[in-house]
Amino acid sequence: MDRTDAVTRILFEEFGITEVRLFYLLGYAAIAIFFYGVYVQIRKYRRGAALRLEGGLRSRFGAMLAAVLKGRTVDRRDPAAGGAHRLILYGFALLFAGTATITLQYDILEPLFGIRFWQGEFYLVFSLIMDVAGVALIAGLMFMMYRRGWMKLPKLDYARPDRAPGDPDFNRPQYRREDWAFLWILLIIGCTGYVLEAARLVWLAGRPEVWETRWWSPVGAFLAQLLIAFGLTEHGGALLRHGLWWFHGLIALVLIALIPYTKVKHIFTSAASLMVRDPRAAQRLPRVPESQAEAGAAKITDFNWKQLLNLDACTKCGRCHEACPARAVGAPLSPRDVILSLREFARATLESGEVPEAAELDVHGKAPGQVAMETLWSCRTCMACVEICPVAVEHVPIIVQMRRKLVEEGDMDPLLTKTLQTIHKTGNSFGESKRKRGAWSKALPFAVKDARKEPVDVLWFVGDYASFDPRNQKVSQLFASLLYEAGVDFGILYDAESNAGNDVRRVGEEGLYEVLAASNVDALSKASFKSVVTTDPHSFNTIRNEYPDFGGSYTIEHYTTLLERLFVQGRLMVTKPLKYRVTFHDPCHLGRFNQGYDAPRELLALLGCELIEMGRCRANSFCCGAGGGRIWVPDPVGAEKPAQNRIKEAAAIPGLEVYVVSCPKDLTMFEDALKTTGNEGKFVVKELIELIREATLARLPEPVPA
Amino acid sequence: MKILVAVKQVAALDEDFEIRGDGRDVEPDCLIRDLNEWDDFSLEEAVKIKEAAAEPVEVVAVSVGPEEVDESLRKCLAKGADRALRVWDAAIAGSDSIAIARVLAAAARREAPGLLFAGVQSSDQSFAATGIAIAAFLGWPHAAVVSQLAYSPGAASAVFRRELEGGVLQAVEIRVPAVLTIQLGINTPRYASLRSIKQAAAKPIDVWSLADLQLSAADVGEAGSSSRVRRMYVPDKGRAELIEGDAARQAARLADIIREFKGAAA
Repeated sequence: MDRTDAVTRILFEEFGITEVRLFYLLGYAAIAIFFYGVYVQIRKYRRGAALRLEGGLRSRFGAMLAAVLKGRTVDRRDPAAGGAHRLILYGFALLFAGTATITLQYDILEPLFGIRFWQGEFYLVFSLIMDVAGVALIAGLMFMMYRRGWMKLPKLDYARPDRAPGDPDFNRPQYRREDWAFLWILLIIGCTGYVLEAARLVWLAGRPEVWETRWWSPVGAFLAQLLIAFGLTEHGGALLRHGLWWFHGLIALVLIALIPYTKVKHIFTSAASLMVRDPRAAQRLPRVPESQAEAGAAKITDFNWKQLLNLDACTKCGRCHEACPARAVGAPLSPRDVILSLREFARATLESGEVPEAAELDVHGKAPGQVAMETLWSCRTCMACVEICPVAVEHVPIIVQMRRKLVEEGDMDPLLTKTLQTIHKTGNSFGESKRKRGAWSKALPFAVKDARKEPVDVLWFVGDYASFDPRNQKVSQLFASLLYEAGVDFGILYDAESNAGNDVRRVGEEGLYEVLAASNVDALSKASFKSVVTTDPHSFNTIRNEYPDFGGSYTIEHYTTLLERLFVQGRLMVTKPLKYRVTFHDPCHLGRFNQGYDAPRELLALLGCELIEMGRCRANSFCCGAGGGRIWVPDPVGAEKPAQNRIKEAAAIPGLEVYVVSCPKDLTMFEDALKTTGNEGKFVVKELIELIREATLARLPEPVPA
Repeated sequence: MKILVAVKQVAALDEDFEIRGDGRDVEPDCLIRDLNEWDDFSLEEAVKIKEAAAEPVEVVAVSVGPEEVDESLRKCLAKGADRALRVWDAAIAGSDSIAIARVLAAAARREAPGLLFAGVQSSDQSFAATGIAIAAFLGWPHAAVVSQLAYSPGAASAVFRRELEGGVLQAVEIRVPAVLTIQLGINTPRYASLRSIKQAAAKPIDVWSLADLQLSAADVGEAGSSSRVRRMYVPDKGRAELIEGDAARQAARLADIIREFKGAAA
């Protein structure tokens, strides 16, 4: 016998033909159960509404593979979990690939073509890799067990903020059981694999081709030495190997069979979800097709297949739960639970042969699987959940689609109803006459150009708050002065401007949004300008990302980049450096939505301010609570507001002098929160524009003539 | 069973307004138009009866006015009215609330509803007369300022409450057909989403002329009205002045002012 040939894995040796047949039978059964489950899942997704993806599948696949292999998304804000996940992923993938190569040779290549590759040095290296992979897998699993059992992470607590204790859907112990079962089953497969390997070595200790090469599987060899030291004989090894072989094999087959029915399926669903991710999910909400009779989601099948896939992709990691500003202040909303509720609902309705009539979503019910309207209305559409989700679940469009239905039914706060009616009637949320929109500019010593009547370089889309709110009008006047002094040729649309509609759309009043967008696109199309600037990040977002769907594509920027450029060009000069210790609040719509993180910080540096970042900054910025139309609905009395939560975070910065914002709604929200949290007098809330004005206003003393 | 809801498109003053050339109304360009607030409630009350009824109920909104009134009628259709009617003829311009009521009563005769709702008053003219005048023309029982209503279609009478001064409630039973004018707060009017308003464009708005109602130009306009607006104006604002100085100076200034006013009155 050729020695190289002999160095290989012992498979069915000593097994009777019946035993081998039984194993194959069970193997095929497991695979059949697996594929039936896959079929049921795919049928479920196909029952969702149609959706055409943008972009090629190949580039999508490449991006997904890179994200999964690097574990980049799992690493974020939890590198320990990311590291452990990588160990499990790599370990499992290698062990699976290893086992697959056995099948490849033993069941396909050898019987059909007589090809044998799985021997000699290849086998030995293979053995070593398998052993290392097993160590990685077990180490990763042990850390995950420690994390679940001992670290007591709040994000892994399944108690829901939208259900009371005692509710059948409150803390879902079945999820906990499933998590642990998943960890244990993988751990048992890993451990029995090693013991099985050791037992085989003990059993075949007499064969030099086995025994002499044993250290190529170091863990197995070490365990074998241990077993021999404890007195295991060759015969005992044979018996143990036979028993464990079946145990290990059966449990692995059970795992394969269960993949589509349990959280194990995240291997496929999360990867697929990452592959179909929409990088502009929240900044550009989907349109309602003209042909569609009802706006919004009334039935589970009104969600598209991608959204149904999103529901199954969720691994309950709780990062969205942790990031959600509504959840943080005790509102009855956790983005995680919205997804999980809908997942349970989809499972109950769409996995059976026929779609039942009762696939209707019920926002008034609190039955398991239903999402209540209080939950939907708690959302600020700040996108923190979408941004952090490691598996590309897009919560916000799902929530807005359900809100669209609520708006159709009139199921909303009476104040919100009133505001929407006001916006429809007057074009602004303040209920002011259109004619007063540009009135703030009358206080300026120069005239602000009317972009309806003359061409301008820069068209400033002012927005509701900056136009009508008295506090923000002052900021608008300062910004106009800055542009004027820098020699920028700019103008505004006066009466022709309407509410940009960003928040109206996020409320779910799509029809009103369409009216507002069409009206603004019309007004913009009649004006002559080179670029648009906004002081309001909300307007910035919708004009930049959503107006193109309504025929309006413009070069647009937020004021922070424009002013930064004016400084760089020397058209604005810092005449009095500000030595303030400041912190900066990233507005959701400028930062998370449009990655405008740097310009405000560079401006603060130019002004000479000392910037101390809050813990939650940039992509992890904590919403002021005004988004998604919530600025029009009062928060519950007594409960903490998101803006208060945020101001408390800032107040912890020693010696803080200025809390800097760059959004009109932030100014309103945080000046209020400053007072209500008792921090008035300790530091102030200021618009970045106000600091810039202060730093550029004071002229240096004129040189005294000699 | 049918409920006819008489609605009006009212005008609100915009920020800066001007009086029309003839001095009898505000310049139309300075007005923002919308459905009368009371009518939101009366329409909602009708739709609520329809939704709660076992038998089919038809809710029909009717208004008197030019084409621009269709916008308000579409809102009614969006909120649940099955049909809308608009009566217009150039001769109707200048009608007072009694003449308008004559037109609406004629429309009611043609539609033959079991109940007719109107708002207590309109927010722009505030006569609070149209609803009750319709009842007078029809010779139907009527009640004003209804703040709570119970009616099941098919019944011979409706039971309702009216709020009186001093927090007193009056519970009343009324024979149908009847005219009720509905008070604010009787219900919570639903929101008409812009989508539903757009879709309501597909529902019909019938336009009737005076001839369709067997009325003539003499029944409407100034000829058919019992009152007419003579003049609309913004009254002069009063002035205040603090007179300073010693008693003699103050007295002198006061005397001047009195003389000034006497002169103006003379």
